[in-house]
Amino acid sequence: MASDNEKTLAPTKSNESAPGGLRTAFSRKVLIDSVVRLSPKSLLKNPVMLIVEITFFIVAAMAIVPQAFAGVASPSLQIFYVEVAAILLLTVWFSTLSDALAEQQAKSTAGSLRKLETEVSSKKIVTEKWEKKIVIVKSTELRKEDLILIETGDFVPLDADVLEGIAMIDESLVTGESAPVRKAPGDSLIGGSRVVSDTLTAKVTTNPGETFIDQMIKMVESSKRPKTPNEVAITIVLIGLTAIFTIIIVALLGMSIILNLGADLSVLIALYVCLLPTTIGALLPAIGLSGMSRLYKHKIIAKSGKAIETAGDADVVLLDKTGTITVGNRQAIEFVPFASCTEEDVGEAAFLSSWHDDTPEGRSILKLAYEKGFVPKELNSLALSETYPFSASTRTSGVKITGMGLRLPKGGKSGRDRLRIRRKSSTISDQSMAAGIESEIDIVKGAPESIKTIVDSVPSNYDLIVEGISAKGETPIAISRNGEAIGIIRLKDVLKEGIREKIQALKTMGIRPVMITGDQPLTAKSIAAEVGIDEYVAQAKPEDKYSIAKKEQAESRIVAMIGDGTNDAPALSAADVGLAMNSGTEAAKEAANMVDLESNPAKIIDVVMLGKQLLMTRGAVTAFSIANDIAKYFAIMPVLFGAAIPQLQALNVLQLGLKSAVLSALIFNAIIIPLLIPLAMRGIAFKPTSTMTLFLKNTLIYGLGGVIVPFIGIKLIDLLLVGVFHI
Amino acid sequence: MIDAIQAFAVIFILGVTIFVARLLAPYITRVYSRVPSRLDKLLNPVEKFIYKICGIDPNHSMGWKQYFLAGLLLNVAQMVIAFLILVFQGKLPLNPMGFPGLNWDLALNTVISFATNTNLQHYNGEATLSILSQMTAIQFLQWTSAATGICMGIAFVRGFIVDSKNMGNFHVDFVRTITRILLPLCLIASLVFVVMGVPQTLSASTTLTTLQGTTQTILTGPVASLDSIMQLGTNGGGFYGANAAYPFMNPSPYSNIFMISLMLLLPTALIFVFGELLGKKREARPLLWGAYIIFGIALALAFIPNIPLVAQGIETRFGGFMSNFYTVTTTAATTGSVNTALSAMHPLTITSGFLGMFIQSIPGGKGIGLMYMVMYIIITVFIVGLMSGRTPEYLGIKITGRDVKLVMVAFLIHPIIILIPTIIAYASGAAAAIGVGGTSVGYTQILYEFTTSAANNGSDFLGASGNTPFFNIATAIVMFIGRYASIAILLALAGSMIGRKSGGTTGLKTESPVFTIVLVASIIILVVLAFFPFLALGPISSFFRGLMNGF
Repeated sequence: MASDNEKTLAPTKSNESAPGGLRTAFSRKVLIDSVVRLSPKSLLKNPVMLIVEITFFIVAAMAIVPQAFAGVASPSLQIFYVEVAAILLLTVWFSTLSDALAEQQAKSTAGSLRKLETEVSSKKIVTEKWEKKIVIVKSTELRKEDLILIETGDFVPLDADVLEGIAMIDESLVTGESAPVRKAPGDSLIGGSRVVSDTLTAKVTTNPGETFIDQMIKMVESSKRPKTPNEVAITIVLIGLTAIFTIIIVALLGMSIILNLGADLSVLIALYVCLLPTTIGALLPAIGLSGMSRLYKHKIIAKSGKAIETAGDADVVLLDKTGTITVGNRQAIEFVPFASCTEEDVGEAAFLSSWHDDTPEGRSILKLAYEKGFVPKELNSLALSETYPFSASTRTSGVKITGMGLRLPKGGKSGRDRLRIRRKSSTISDQSMAAGIESEIDIVKGAPESIKTIVDSVPSNYDLIVEGISAKGETPIAISRNGEAIGIIRLKDVLKEGIREKIQALKTMGIRPVMITGDQPLTAKSIAAEVGIDEYVAQAKPEDKYSIAKKEQAESRIVAMIGDGTNDAPALSAADVGLAMNSGTEAAKEAANMVDLESNPAKIIDVVMLGKQLLMTRGAVTAFSIANDIAKYFAIMPVLFGAAIPQLQALNVLQLGLKSAVLSALIFNAIIIPLLIPLAMRGIAFKPTSTMTLFLKNTLIYGLGGVIVPFIGIKLIDLLLVGVFHI
Repeated sequence: MIDAIQAFAVIFILGVTIFVARLLAPYITRVYSRVPSRLDKLLNPVEKFIYKICGIDPNHSMGWKQYFLAGLLLNVAQMVIAFLILVFQGKLPLNPMGFPGLNWDLALNTVISFATNTNLQHYNGEATLSILSQMTAIQFLQWTSAATGICMGIAFVRGFIVDSKNMGNFHVDFVRTITRILLPLCLIASLVFVVMGVPQTLSASTTLTTLQGTTQTILTGPVASLDSIMQLGTNGGGFYGANAAYPFMNPSPYSNIFMISLMLLLPTALIFVFGELLGKKREARPLLWGAYIIFGIALALAFIPNIPLVAQGIETRFGGFMSNFYTVTTTAATTGSVNTALSAMHPLTITSGFLGMFIQSIPGGKGIGLMYMVMYIIITVFIVGLMSGRTPEYLGIKITGRDVKLVMVAFLIHPIIILIPTIIAYASGAAAAIGVGGTSVGYTQILYEFTTSAANNGSDFLGASGNTPFFNIATAIVMFIGRYASIAILLALAGSMIGRKSGGTTGLKTESPVFTIVLVASIIILVVLAFFPFLALGPISSFFRGLMNGF
């Protein structure tokens, strides 16, 4: 009964802090808990099982004083009544065992979450009489907006935003990501992470007990967990079926007494319990709980169970290109010169303009230029240069170099280590001092449209080249020197590993992926085509996500999306499923209904699949449970009125004896619960296919299977009972 | 078993019926969407006049409660009038045979029976009712109950139409159903019946001298028109106590086939109307094929035993085959007219009759069968739909807990109002009082009595022997609840669909053949789960006892 998650849909990282499997959960504590739960009072939440327990008391009474049940019980069957009563109690126990196991799993999830926010002492900054002081307080005494000092080795007591300082933070306890993360002012800290180096001051953003970890803990502790809409609806079906079977049994009992059909009450009760939807009734709570635990194994925290179900219903998934589809680092691959210049000119200009550009793109430009040997002579003057950092409004960045430049030797083998280049250049600087050509160089690089507006003139083929590059899904960056457009840098997007397959999986399941990107339409189109996405929104600003989500919802579609920035918050709260990145802003995390601790936007797809798995598991167990009833009718009906209407033996297709029929059916009914616990806890396995194929496949396995399996199972139990126990 | 020619005949008759229903559907759809038609010139003034004298505002729209109450109120008013006519028929004109007024319990049973489209008859028509009673209380209620059923079905469909705002106007629908659907169709059908030899006259009887020289009184009346409305309106109440077994009602195998077709015509046409009104014609597929596949299974069940050509209680004009076919159809369409003594039928035929009445939608009564089928679809979509990995949705609308509650209650009503009265009938000694014992045969009769009442079918074993206060009142209550409670709940369901988001195209494709098969399996499983033990005590037990025809 290994409940590892090998069979869950997406590969998950093995993780020690994740809730343990069945084997580890199957402890003495669980056993005791399951017995405690047998008390009728704690069964009130589960009416089906409460009824089974009531029938146990009735049959137990029949076993003790059969005389009191004259007409519907016979003293000669006393031992049989004991057996029936025992199996009835066993049925209830299996159900409470399943509850206890799921709860244990949830508790271990909650426990591992709680570990993250053990009470620590923290350094609160208070201002007293114009003087700042450090006061040591317990983390539970901190409140929102408090300022705290966190030094090397300290735990971050609560979620907070960095105000001052830069530090390396170890978040491995929270996210499982082992490499320390650099946090600078504006970044958010997760309560429970630890500062590895340096010191920070930060502002607390939540009150104790309100962090999203607290929300998750509340969620997994079942007693506080509100039922999801689907659970509510299934519970109604179960109550409805219970009502129908109650009427049937009461009617049969009435008929039997009035028409002297001589049915034994215990047999009638056995039929009743077999017909009741005990299987789904017993497993329903476990399915919902373990769904949440599975999500946590993916390092995603859901704020409600409903959010997971809704994810399964998603019709549209909005995917940010950067981070979700592409790794986010575009790589420079070519320098394209315009007619008046050479590739070297462009490369050198790119080199200069990217020297101070610490973005992945900037580094990749530098690397390409260095590999091609385009190291400019003006390198040493960079120290005296003036930089224009990237500005979102102009969409350009640049460098202005005044003074003398230096010529560097050409060539060089590999590596993009700037220090090495600098070392090289300093050794030769004395020898060739007077090699400067221009006294002032002004280089600007940026979006082609923006460059177009700042240069005096552009070559006639400017647009053609730009479009040609965009059409291939690459990003053109135009570069100008002293007001003259000299060329284009080609940047290529790198796709995330496995993203194409994931998107294909979404499409086969009938879910529309929509890519959202700030890129130009041509670039967007090409990337979309490369990963197989048919719809994309280009040149989108973060605010556009909101209107896109709203537009899809207006057409009655369920929208799932990810977001991290404050700009994303309105869209995240509008979307039916909003997955926020833990690295994102507090506003985004507040607005979303799930938070990914690992900040991997591609996980939105896993969330959708998990939602589907949860719904399917619930449906499969329900259908299986109901379909089982057919066989149980055929097992028990022939013997129920066996004495009065022997002709009904013709229905006894399984050829069961009176006692064996009742006991076999009851045992099957009971034993199927623990047999299905692993299925309930890990979810049913499925491959992404169309809705109808999934429907057909699961209906055949769990619906048709649900009709056939009990016939076989009951007969096998009967053979065992008759052969081994001579019943 | 039946031979190939008979099998072909069955398929041909059903095929033609479905085909004609398909042709009729666009016309019916236009009637309810109030699309201008060529009949307007003739009928508009008539309808306007009716609206005027009744104070109906044809542009007033109703919510589901208002619509339902309008229907219920109208029906109850009609019941009261019919009740008075039946009780006082002795003092009223058009009573050439001088029949006395009916007992209050029989009159109550009869008016509820006819107003609920059940037409359970605890009396022999020709020996109990005056011409006035036949024409007003009986035939009048057959028209109004049929029209009410159709209206409720149409209102139900309107709830599922995307962007619909309300259920329409009951009074307008009611008037238009009679003027534009029932009247023209009955006119045609009556003419066909007259051609086939069914009498249509206002004189009550013809006295003639037989070959032996004795005089014989032959009871006649407006039989052809009653024939058409009783079959078209899935009513089933006959002019004569022997119903469609009586030569003047059903003179030949041809009229018998025509009756089978008429019973199925409107329920089937309304299934197509469902698709057309929704603007999603394909959505009619699971309803149509679901209904006819189960109907086929019911027929096959009835045709399993060797059918004798001549047997006690079977009309020699039709023989076993046609009698079986007719009996299964009359229960499947919940019409309840009979062309044979039920007690002459094989237990398997009776079992398949039970099946039709338990399900009530293969294809069921006009309008009502449709509502029940949608109920089964929603239950099925909910139970198996989750297995497609999405929240179950029907017609793009997500099924919520409240919807499930309503369909479960609608489904629950049926077993309750069948099983509980059956026990009471035995426990109170009412069954024994009319000589029905506790054997499988007797049990079958009592179970059938309440099943036929609950399903608003009307065929029964008891007939005039059921004319006791217990059975009159008990079945009246069952008929009333079986009709109005179910309609109210299902209309509430449809009403709650108004204004709901409907969009998802990625969900379960209910129009696919796969879904139809799952639907059929699910309906059979649900019905077997709810009723199997009782069938086992009744007809199934009779079957295994080796009781054959005439059991």
